[in-house]
Amino acid sequence: MVAIDVPEVNYTEYSNRQLVAVPLAVLVLALAIIGGWYLVTGAPANLGLEFTGGVELRVADDGGNVEQQIETAFDRQPDSVRAIPADDVYVVTFRAADEDPGNLAEDLSTQADEAGLSTTAIDQVSPSFASDTAQTAIFGVGLAFLGMSVLVFALFRTFVPSLAVVASAFSDLVIPIAVMNLLGIQMTLGTIAALLMIIGYSVDSDILLNNSVLRRTGEFYESVSRAMRTGVTMTLTSMAAMIVMAIVASLFGIDLLRNIGIILSVGLCADLMNTYLLNVSLLRWYKFEGVKR
Amino acid sequence: MLEPIKNNWRILLLVVVVLGATVALFAPQFGPQTAPGEDVSEAQQGVTNLQYGLDLAGGTRVRAPLVGYTAMEVDFGGDQPDEVARTIAAELENASAADITAVPSERAVDVTATEVTESQFRAAMDASGYAYEDIRSGVTQETRDVAQQVIKDKIDETGLSGGTVQQVQSLTGEYFMLVEVPGENRSSVTSLLEERGTVQIDIAYPTANGTGIEEGVLRGEDFQELGSASQRERVQGAYVPVTVRNTAPEGQQSPAHEFQQAVADRGFAEAYNSQRDQCDYRENPDDVSNPCLLLTVDGEVVNSFGMDPSLADSMASGSWATDGGFRLTTTEFAEAERIAINLRAGALPADLDISGQGTSRSISASQGANYKTYSLVTGILAVFAVAGMVFLRYREPAVALPMIVTAIAEVYALLGFAALLSYPVELAVIAGFIAVVGTGVDDLVIIADEVMSEGEVNSRTVFNSRFRRAFWVIGAAAATTIIAMSPLMVLSLGDLSGFAIFTVLGVLIGVLVTRPAYGDILRRLLTIR
Repeated sequence: MVAIDVPEVNYTEYSNRQLVAVPLAVLVLALAIIGGWYLVTGAPANLGLEFTGGVELRVADDGGNVEQQIETAFDRQPDSVRAIPADDVYVVTFRAADEDPGNLAEDLSTQADEAGLSTTAIDQVSPSFASDTAQTAIFGVGLAFLGMSVLVFALFRTFVPSLAVVASAFSDLVIPIAVMNLLGIQMTLGTIAALLMIIGYSVDSDILLNNSVLRRTGEFYESVSRAMRTGVTMTLTSMAAMIVMAIVASLFGIDLLRNIGIILSVGLCADLMNTYLLNVSLLRWYKFEGVKR
Repeated sequence: MLEPIKNNWRILLLVVVVLGATVALFAPQFGPQTAPGEDVSEAQQGVTNLQYGLDLAGGTRVRAPLVGYTAMEVDFGGDQPDEVARTIAAELENASAADITAVPSERAVDVTATEVTESQFRAAMDASGYAYEDIRSGVTQETRDVAQQVIKDKIDETGLSGGTVQQVQSLTGEYFMLVEVPGENRSSVTSLLEERGTVQIDIAYPTANGTGIEEGVLRGEDFQELGSASQRERVQGAYVPVTVRNTAPEGQQSPAHEFQQAVADRGFAEAYNSQRDQCDYRENPDDVSNPCLLLTVDGEVVNSFGMDPSLADSMASGSWATDGGFRLTTTEFAEAERIAINLRAGALPADLDISGQGTSRSISASQGANYKTYSLVTGILAVFAVAGMVFLRYREPAVALPMIVTAIAEVYALLGFAALLSYPVELAVIAGFIAVVGTGVDDLVIIADEVMSEGEVNSRTVFNSRFRRAFWVIGAAAATTIIAMSPLMVLSLGDLSGFAIFTVLGVLIGVLVTRPAYGDILRRLLTIR
C-alpha cells in the first residue's frame, strides 16, 4: 500500500533569500501574465458569459449529426461549440452582439427550434447586467480579502507574521488567475466563488504554521515540521476532493463545479509553495532577526 | 447517572443533530408547502423533503430591472399625488398621467413610459415647477411593489405553481425583479413578463377623411367582474365575459355610462341593424364604413368587432349601463386566455427589460434531472477521494474512520437544514457541500495530529489541553472562511449566495457540533483508562 509521508525539509540548508526567490518569481510571473493579458485583451482574464453578456444554449445530441446542424442553424457564428458526451449535449456560446443585443436569446432559440434542434437550457445575460456583475464580483473579492487581512492581523497582532499570511494568500489568488488564462479557462461566477474559497482554505495552513511557531513552545524547525506534517495532509486532502470534483464535473459538463474544482486545485497547489517557502522564510527572518530589533 | 451524559455530551449533541436532520428530511410534517389543490405527495420531489432549485428541477429564472426614471427628493408643496402626476404629464408629450406615479412617502416621482428619455423627464420636472434633487434611472419602491404583485398574480393566473417573485438590489443600487417559474420554458415566461398587459378598448369610426379613433373608451380598471375565457358557440373565436362598473363617486359618470354614451355618439345603433352589418376594420383599417370596437393589448389591436343590433339599441336607449354585461371577443382562444390573465392580474406598471439589461436562465426538466444525478455522483466521488487520502495518511482505522463518518454527518446535517429551511438545492449549493467536506476534514486532520503528537495520550487532562490548542487554529480558520464567504451571501451574484450560505452553515455546524464530537470520539479511542 502506498503511504503518504510528508517529507521533512531541511530548511537550514537554504538562506531566506533562496527560499523566498521561488515563490516571488512565480508571483511576478503570474502578475506579468495577468498584466500582459490586460494589455492585449483589455481584461485581466478570459471573461465568461456572465461578465461579457451573451447567450449560451445547451443542445441535446439525439443521434444525428448535431454538430453540423449547429454550424448551419444559426444566422451568426457561435463563439464556441463544446461537446459533452457524458450528457449527450453540445454547449453553444454566443457573445453579445453590438448590433441589436435585444432579442438575441429569443432569435437563437427560435432558430434552433426551426433547425429541429432541441435546446435543454438557455442562459442569457445582457451586456449591461454583465458589467454590473463584474463590478460586484471584483468588489466582493476585494472585500473578502480585506476582511481576511484584518482578521489575521487581529489574531496574531504582530506585523511580519501577519503580513506573511496575507502575502501568501494574495499570491494564492493571483497564481490561479494566471493559470486560468494559460489554460484558457474562462472567468465565471463559479471561479469567483472558488477564489473566495481559496481565501478561506489557503489561510488555514498559514494560520496553522504561524500558530505552531509563534504560540507554541519548542524549537523553530521542530515547530515548522510539526505544522507541515498536518498542513500538507490537509492541503492534499482538500486537493484530492477538488481534483476529483473537477474531473467528474467536466465529464458531465457541469461547468460551475468544474471551474470551482480546477481553481481550487491550482490555488491549493500554489498554497503549498507559498506557505512552506514564502511564509516559512518570513517567519524565520522574524524569529531570528526581526524580533531582536 | 448524569455522569456519562456529561462526559459525552459532544457526541450526544452530534447524534441529536443527525436525528434532527433525519426528521427534517423524511418526516411528512416538514414536507414542502403544498399549492392549493395539491397533496403532499405531489409537492414532494423524491423520497426526501428536499426542494430542488431551477438547476436540478428545470424551469426559468429571469432577473431584470423595471424601466423608468425617478425624480428624487421632490417637494410636493402639499399637492395631491394625482395632481402632481397630471401637472408633470402635461409637460410631456409622450406620456399620460397614468405613466407617472407620485409617491409622497418616498418624496419621489417616477415615469414609466418607455418613450420618455431622461432629459425629457428632466425638462418636464423643471417645467412643472416642483423642486427635486436629482433624476436616477429605475422606478420608485411603490411601483416596484405593485409590479411584484402583478407579476406574482400573472404567474398564478397562468396556473403555474411554485413561481416566486423577489426584488433584489445590485451593488450599484439598481433594483432587479427576480422571477422564478419552475417547469416552464424561457419563451413562455418572457412573453408573460415582457408584455405589460394594458388592455383597452378603442372605437374606430368613419369620418370624411378616413378612420377616426377614440382611444380608451374602456380600460382594464373599468371592469368589475371578469369571467374566464370561453369558446364561442357555433361561430369561430372566443371571448372573455366582463361586467363594466356602473357606479362612480358623486358628480362623476360611471365607466359603464361613459362607454354607453361613447357608443351611442359614434352611431353604432344606426350602423348595425341586422346580422349582415359587419365591422370592416380588418379589411380596410384606414377607411372603415361602420364604427368598430377595437380590443388592444399594449397598444396593438388584437381584434376588431362590430356590435349585435340589440346590444347597440340598448346602449342607444341608455338601458345597458344598469347591467353592464359585455363580451371581449377574440379570434383565438389563447388570445382570450391571455387577455383574461392580463385583466385579472392588472397591467405591469413598468416594462421589464429582460433582453436589454437583464439575464435569464432556463433549464429543461430532463437536463435538471441529469444534473441531479451527476452532481450526486460528483459529490460521492469527492467524499471517496477524501476518505482515500485520509486512510493513506493515517493507516489507522480508529483515527480515519470516525473522521470520514464525522464529515459525512456534517453534510447530512446540512441537508437536513436545507429541508428544514425549504432552501432549494441547486448546483451551487452542492458545490458548497463538497467544499464543506474539504474544510471539515482539514480541521479533523488538525485535531488528530495535534492530539496524537508528542507521544501517548494517557490522561484526560493531556487530551483536553491538546484539543483546546487544536481548537484555536480551527476557530481561526473557520472565522477566515466565514469572512471570506460573507460578501457572497449578501451581494447579488446569481446563484452563488447558495454556495456561500451553505459553506458558512457547514463551517458553523462543523465548529460547534461535529468537530468537538470528533474530539470526544478520538479521546474515547485513544485514552487509556
